[in-house]
Amino acid sequence: MLPRILPPLLLAACLLVGWESYCRLADVAPLILPAPSGVLQALVLNRADIGAHALSTIAVAALGFSLSVGFAFLVSVMLHFLPWAEKGLMPLFVASQTVPLVALAPLMILWFGFGLLPKVLLVILVTFFPMLLSLLSGYRQTPTDFTDLLASMGAGRFSVFRRAVLPSARPSFFAGLRISATYAIVATIFAEYAGARRGLGIYILAAKNNFRADLVLAAVVVSAGLTLALLGAIRLLDRLTARGPKARHA
Amino acid sequence: MLDLRGLTIGTDAAMLVGDLSLSLPMTGITALIGPSGCGKSSVLKWSAGILPKDLDGEGQLMLDGQAIARPCPAISYQPQSDALFPWLTVAQNAALGLQVRGLSRAEALNRVAPLFSSFGLKGTEGQFPDQLSGGMRQRAAFLRTVVQDSRYVLLDEPFSALDAVTRLRMQDWLIARLAERPRGVLLVTHDLHEATRLADVILVMAGPPGRIVAEIPVPHPPTQRSEAALAPLRDELKSLLLENAP
Repeated sequence: MLPRILPPLLLAACLLVGWESYCRLADVAPLILPAPSGVLQALVLNRADIGAHALSTIAVAALGFSLSVGFAFLVSVMLHFLPWAEKGLMPLFVASQTVPLVALAPLMILWFGFGLLPKVLLVILVTFFPMLLSLLSGYRQTPTDFTDLLASMGAGRFSVFRRAVLPSARPSFFAGLRISATYAIVATIFAEYAGARRGLGIYILAAKNNFRADLVLAAVVVSAGLTLALLGAIRLLDRLTARGPKARHA
Repeated sequence: MLDLRGLTIGTDAAMLVGDLSLSLPMTGITALIGPSGCGKSSVLKWSAGILPKDLDGEGQLMLDGQAIARPCPAISYQPQSDALFPWLTVAQNAALGLQVRGLSRAEALNRVAPLFSSFGLKGTEGQFPDQLSGGMRQRAAFLRTVVQDSRYVLLDEPFSALDAVTRLRMQDWLIARLAERPRGVLLVTHDLHEATRLADVILVMAGPPGRIVAEIPVPHPPTQRSEAALAPLRDELKSLLLENAP
């Protein structure tokens, strides 16, 4: 575990030391680029405020992400059993990914207000597609020998799906989960940025408008921490639910 | 007796197997040999009811004179790979066929548990397939096939991925297991040594389109065969395969 996290930790430490040194030696104005120590100080002094906004972001991201994963799973099962539906729906799903969020987010706020709904919808829009693709790709990776074997035993399509296809898609499912998780926090902050009463997005906007680069960066640090925590939780879930020695050490 | 009558397999563009018929006795091994692409595995897959969708197959499968639908509980199939599910324990893999056929998980596990010892798998029940050697994996796969209590077993090159020594050991092991639990076995193999060591009858296929060009009984039971006695038979099989090569 330690050797695995040591290189990124060392690299991050080097970058922070370089950044801190530059700010001090070049006497950079904190309004333009605060030193890491300044960002840390701002984070500590404003922890209650940032924490409250972060909680709101977590709630939106968790709700949107959970709904997205559930929805992607249901749609993936439907598309697996109805290949003709995949032909009809997939172009629409692909088209949904080409819509620029910067145009859509304000419209969502306009249509659905400043509440939870527009933000959750944006998170779903951003995270649904990678999750769906990962699941469908996982289903297709099921070894033919597994499905043939079950079919020769007289298993029906649902039995084959439950016993072979779904477990075979597990690695793809978790890969998709990791990709979508990183998008979930970013999408939530973007949605809040477009319009919200609480959340890191609106906090960043307010801090930027007040020329508080230290607070903007403090909120960014918290957002990065949230993403890493979510990825850690997914990794833990992956390990806890793994069956077999290879899956556990993957 | 399991009879396969008038089997034709192909696509709109090409015929893979043409009007093939064969009979499988209730006990003993019938080996199906032939060059790659002559349709051996397709014959097995059609009989198991799992012919790929891009192929059309027509023919009749008769069990004791009665036409049967495929897949049929009287027939078990073991694919070329051992097809052990890596997320299931060895015991759960062995019990898979019984569960598919309607037994509860506990009933199925109880049914397979006493057989682990005689299959040389004692102590592996709770292990995962990745923890087993190639030979042990094949034993577990064969246990899964045999425990379904099917009267006929279709084996598609079951030992092709094993090293030479393990393959020889597994061939002896298979003969011993079939002596304990007699079944009618149709064995697809590329290996003439394997065919002559294990089979009671060897069917030589040629093609495409696949057809049977010779049916050769192997003298003596498998346990009493000497290498010297089998050498002329292998020469005969080699000649037949070369004569009918595409």
